[in-house]
Amino acid sequence: MVHMCTIVPISMTVGANRIVPTVAIPYPLGNPALEPADEKELRRKLVKKALEALATEVHGQTVFKD
Amino acid sequence: MRLEVGNIFIKDVQFGAATEVKSGVLYVNKDELAKIAGSDDRIKSVEVFLARPGESVRIIPVKDVVEPRVKVEGPGGVFPGFMTGVDQVGSGKTHVLKGAAVVTTGKIVGFQEGIIDMSGTGAEYTPFSATQNVVVKVEPIDSLKQHEHEVVVRLAGFRAANYLGQAGKDVKPDEVQAYETKPLLEQVAEFPKLPKVVYVYMLQTQGLLHNTYYYGVNVSEIVPTFMYPTEVMDGAIVSGNCVSACDKNPTYVHENSPVIADLYAQHGKTINFLGCVITNENVTLMDKERSSSQTAKLVHFLGADAAIISEEGFGNPDADLVMNCNKIENLGIKTVLITDEYAGQDGVSQSLADSTPLGNACVTAGNANQVVTLPKMDTVIGYPEVANVIAGGWNGSLKADGSIVTEIQVITGATNELGFHTLTAKTV
Repeated sequence: MVHMCTIVPISMTVGANRIVPTVAIPYPLGNPALEPADEKELRRKLVKKALEALATEVHGQTVFKD
Repeated sequence: MRLEVGNIFIKDVQFGAATEVKSGVLYVNKDELAKIAGSDDRIKSVEVFLARPGESVRIIPVKDVVEPRVKVEGPGGVFPGFMTGVDQVGSGKTHVLKGAAVVTTGKIVGFQEGIIDMSGTGAEYTPFSATQNVVVKVEPIDSLKQHEHEVVVRLAGFRAANYLGQAGKDVKPDEVQAYETKPLLEQVAEFPKLPKVVYVYMLQTQGLLHNTYYYGVNVSEIVPTFMYPTEVMDGAIVSGNCVSACDKNPTYVHENSPVIADLYAQHGKTINFLGCVITNENVTLMDKERSSSQTAKLVHFLGADAAIISEEGFGNPDADLVMNCNKIENLGIKTVLITDEYAGQDGVSQSLADSTPLGNACVTAGNANQVVTLPKMDTVIGYPEVANVIAGGWNGSLKADGSIVTEIQVITGATNELGFHTLTAKTV
């Protein structure tokens, strides 16, 4: 499982093993300040990172930073 | 900084030909108040109602509650940054219409906002069933955008409160209380043997319709800063939010912060109260990390032995609370946390979204998910149907007979995290 979450410490507290940090609480997978095309690119990057995290063997809680 | 607060006790509110205070009764010129509150091109109409303790009256949806005050001596005016320039407030003399309140209502802005019942079960869950309420119902022009709607109603409430506050300017207060905090080095020297306490005052700033303001500045934009406790008594902090109304601080609660009152009550006796650090609760991790680091730095720099930390709201602000606690405790400073709980309707779920072993002294203002039935009221000021959409209610909360089954989350001030109301909970 991968937990995509803005507030990483909460992910840690609830015990997620694979954590992908996201943008902000009201828009974890978006950013209204960006143009639509750039926002789509941002979203694609985050989802790709989550898929890579899912395919990665972990030993204990791991945060997948940039 | 020294402020004298003169309380003029208001025992009743009535409509009258002139707005004035006579023998503890606040008389309100309805038309003049409506005109002043409504003096904004973005407002279509303003209606004024009275709601007194014990009456069969429901106010829904409630946006803010504001206490009428007026500056009598000293610089600045009440609600700096919005109503009265931005001079430094918190010194001199201020008169308060103690017992009176302005309550703003009108068409719902979003899914937020609260309920005040003046009698019955609901009245027990809100502190504002005990105030003499002047209800200002504000309707915006049709083309107004949601975010502007919030600010328009907020400002109308401040105009109404300042208008009523003026009625107390030349009235002799029934009671005068003085509060003083000295510049830091003098304050530390005044009570050298007492433990030094700083109050970390967390303010709701989760974005549009969720903000709080300090001298007119959106607190989401500040880095944590020092505030003299008396500043709030002149309206330096105002509310721009009421989503899940149970644990949001209406402007009235900032004006009357019980945490500050209690710390002052112990000032010079058991503690040396150095002042407040105000901080925010923003929506990105970087903001939370920055603000909690700066808060801890400032508390440490002030030389605190202990800090009281109050939260506003729940959910992700629990992470801010925990970060503030961890970072301050890790500097060797003791903390006490004040929060409320979202433990589920049965009360057995995890209460907060985050946790820390260092948070070993915590006060709770109750479980916001507790379900209650609010009986039908004879008069409803506002829009009862929003009980089905505001946070804490659900589709079907409003029954055909006019009663409302809902979580206490919808009741303004029910689990107030400054301890403004009576609810609490014990660990079993």
